[in-house]
Amino acid sequence: MAEAHQEGSGSGVDFDLSQFYQIFFEEAGENLDLMEQMLLSLNLETADDEELNGIFRCAHSVKGGAATFGFSDVAELTHQMESLLDRLRRHELQPNAAMVDVLLESADASRGLLARHQAGGEGDSPPTADLVRRISVLASGNVAPPQASVVSSQQMSTPVTTPATVAVQPVIVAQAADKPLKTTRSLEIRIGPLDHPEQADAIKELFRDIPGLGEITALTSNQADTRVFAVETSSSDEDLLDLFAFHVSRAQVAIKELDDVAAVPEHGDGLFDGAVGSPKMVSYDDDPPPGAPLAPLPGFGFFDGAPGAPNPSAGMTVGAVVGSAGSAVPAKAAAKPAASVVQPEAATIRVAISKVDQLINLVGELVITQAMLAQNSRALDPALYQQLLTGLTDLDRNTRDLQESVMSIRMIPMSIVFSRFPRMLRDLANKLGKKVDFVTQGEATELDKGLVEKITDPLTHLVRNSCDHGIEMPADRVRAGKSETGTITLSAAHQGGSIVIEVRDDGHGMSREKILAKARERGMDVSDQMPDSEVWMLIFAPGFSTAEVVTDVSGRGVGMDVVKRNIAALNGTVEIDSAEGYGMKVSIRLPLTLAIMDGMSVGVGNEVYILPLSSVVESFQVKSDAVSTVGQGAQLVKVRDEYMPVIELEKVFQVPRFDPEKSSDIMVVIEADGCRVALLVDELLGQQQVVVKNLESNYRKVPNISGATILGDGKVALILDTGALVRRSRH
Amino acid sequence: MGVMGKIGETISAGAREYLTFRLDREEYGIDILKVQEIRGYEPPTRIANAPNFIKGVVNLRGTIVPIVDMRLKFNCSKVEYNSFTVVIILNLHNRIVGIVVDSVSDVMELPAESLKAAPDVDSVIDSDAVLGLGSLGDRMLILLDIEKLMSGLDMELAPDVV
Repeated sequence: MAEAHQEGSGSGVDFDLSQFYQIFFEEAGENLDLMEQMLLSLNLETADDEELNGIFRCAHSVKGGAATFGFSDVAELTHQMESLLDRLRRHELQPNAAMVDVLLESADASRGLLARHQAGGEGDSPPTADLVRRISVLASGNVAPPQASVVSSQQMSTPVTTPATVAVQPVIVAQAADKPLKTTRSLEIRIGPLDHPEQADAIKELFRDIPGLGEITALTSNQADTRVFAVETSSSDEDLLDLFAFHVSRAQVAIKELDDVAAVPEHGDGLFDGAVGSPKMVSYDDDPPPGAPLAPLPGFGFFDGAPGAPNPSAGMTVGAVVGSAGSAVPAKAAAKPAASVVQPEAATIRVAISKVDQLINLVGELVITQAMLAQNSRALDPALYQQLLTGLTDLDRNTRDLQESVMSIRMIPMSIVFSRFPRMLRDLANKLGKKVDFVTQGEATELDKGLVEKITDPLTHLVRNSCDHGIEMPADRVRAGKSETGTITLSAAHQGGSIVIEVRDDGHGMSREKILAKARERGMDVSDQMPDSEVWMLIFAPGFSTAEVVTDVSGRGVGMDVVKRNIAALNGTVEIDSAEGYGMKVSIRLPLTLAIMDGMSVGVGNEVYILPLSSVVESFQVKSDAVSTVGQGAQLVKVRDEYMPVIELEKVFQVPRFDPEKSSDIMVVIEADGCRVALLVDELLGQQQVVVKNLESNYRKVPNISGATILGDGKVALILDTGALVRRSRH
Repeated sequence: MGVMGKIGETISAGAREYLTFRLDREEYGIDILKVQEIRGYEPPTRIANAPNFIKGVVNLRGTIVPIVDMRLKFNCSKVEYNSFTVVIILNLHNRIVGIVVDSVSDVMELPAESLKAAPDVDSVIDSDAVLGLGSLGDRMLILLDIEKLMSGLDMELAPDVV
């Protein structure tokens, strides 16, 4: 097999591999991330096979790819990691913290090496010799391994290994069981419950039509909706399930060995080796197809377990059957890896984001055209144009569905963001000498890709803050009657049209008195009667910090204001809730996407402007005498007990007036950066979802305008920058 | 003449095709390869505090495109918008901008040797943006480097800090 591999990389000279490099770098990066994630969540005492196998698979995928592409330094390092992991997953060694540390460091080093290769081999490569040595010391262990695994661990340590090496083990296992691989087996296949049991009869025809598949005889079933067959075949369960899938769902098929002595069926390999999730791998054992090492991409696929992954129900069925057949592997452990092999990426493709954006743009236009048609058709007589109008209604629905589906392409799960925190927190907690558990909830919540990228930094800041300021030292926690280990919870959930992300900790929370004292010290205008929520908001003031000690982690007072500004830039809001001694909670509320916004259209003169609905507080009609002036300049309006600055949009935007009779008499109160101002407009036109377009791509930034959108009639309307308007009123 | 043949060619190296348009009584020519399309005039959305020759922005199939009225820019005496008023959509360095002109006349090929250098005269047009003068019988054609003209700071089309 080693030869086969070398042949593969040798022929890479005339077969241009460089086009696959990028894919390899991406996949390797993902695998390393995944491995890191799993290492961090690994519970050392109760590490189960599924987790260990998963980590092993990641290292293995990286190694396989690196060797194929000739990145021998990466391959060497990951190979060592793989050897250690292999012994762990076969329970020859007990995982310990030192191993996790060295594996994490190795993952970092691999990333460094890969980055160097990606940059064309420039710069110094990170030193790996020490890591390699440490891993091999750990991997050498002290437990005498059982015979069979000695063979395979020797196999594992051949310097140049091929992806197919793992597949060697099944052979050993199968041979150890002293059972030939290809043999005719007697099976009882139970299909049901089915709505139409006749469907199952088609299975019989399969055996008739496919020569060499075997013999089938129908047995009587005790349930009307279930069919039972006795089958003599040399095919594996998986192959049979694949065939049957044409007629009945996999979940409805149960395969049972009639011959109990045949304890180790072919699927045994799938169970002993998580990497070999697909029974198809078996064929590589003794006769690797020459094409396999040459084509690296399918190779990755196999070891990710992605493409060949059996569906979970089938995996479970097979696993359970093996267990009951008296296999040495407990059914639980056996079934789990099979299920874990099913990864969502099995059916994904990589697409450039620009293509998706183009698609979104086109759909946006379609929506506008559709709205225009709908508007124009309203005047038509339904009796005369019934067909046309029906068609337009269908178009309406289809366009909306299409828009929704296209928008969902940009949505990615929050787990992408969350996954970076466990590692960060682990390092941070170690540094600070604290004990912290990290809990995430709602990782599957989806968010626009653009938002995900922009929310990462503020979240990082909040999590660091929680760890540094929130969670107490273990001794203090015990004294306060809490458990030694603090918990930081990061959760995400949909609420209406927005997503709410929360960072919670069970630390000592914030002290109202301290914040107020600090605020007075800084000369801020505060009073003891302020409600809690307003007190907490004080920490968003620039330069505000309650930390007694400034560390390199946080406490310099830069940060919270940046967090708030970043989130406000995404049209989001931040709220804080805290109870002294019990912890605090920061909630971030964000719109689902940056591309679409809820807007309120207002008319000024003959022009239409859009206000982000998220910043609109209220609107009311105003009498001219309700507005008072200060120093003959700034206008103020009294709303309940508050005087608010008035901004006349007509003046800000120099709107020409054609009808001198008409004047603005409607106030819209908007809030941004914690301040409120009243905008004077002519009329409120309505609320609608608007597609936000960039003005700067072809023009330039316009003061007080954040973007533009296209209205139903095809006209452009400008979106007001409420933050800028509020700031304007202050100066 | 293929598109590829034109790229990298300089003025002196052979003929180029120009789109000619009228502003008042003057006739101008611009490199046809910079032209994306020609449309009728539709009232744009006004942008506050912009120079008067920037009429505003329009929706060009989902893209927001600024519209510059060349007649206002060049101080033409008569500026009216009627059914003959035309907008030439230009694609300059992946930025799209529309210019309003009185009418589009022709696409013509001009050999490099027929271009005369423009004499230094006092004009609203930056002399750097004039490639030269071409003669069409008894008419004079002013050839513009539209890219240079539109990227000039006085156009206020792009962010100030480039």
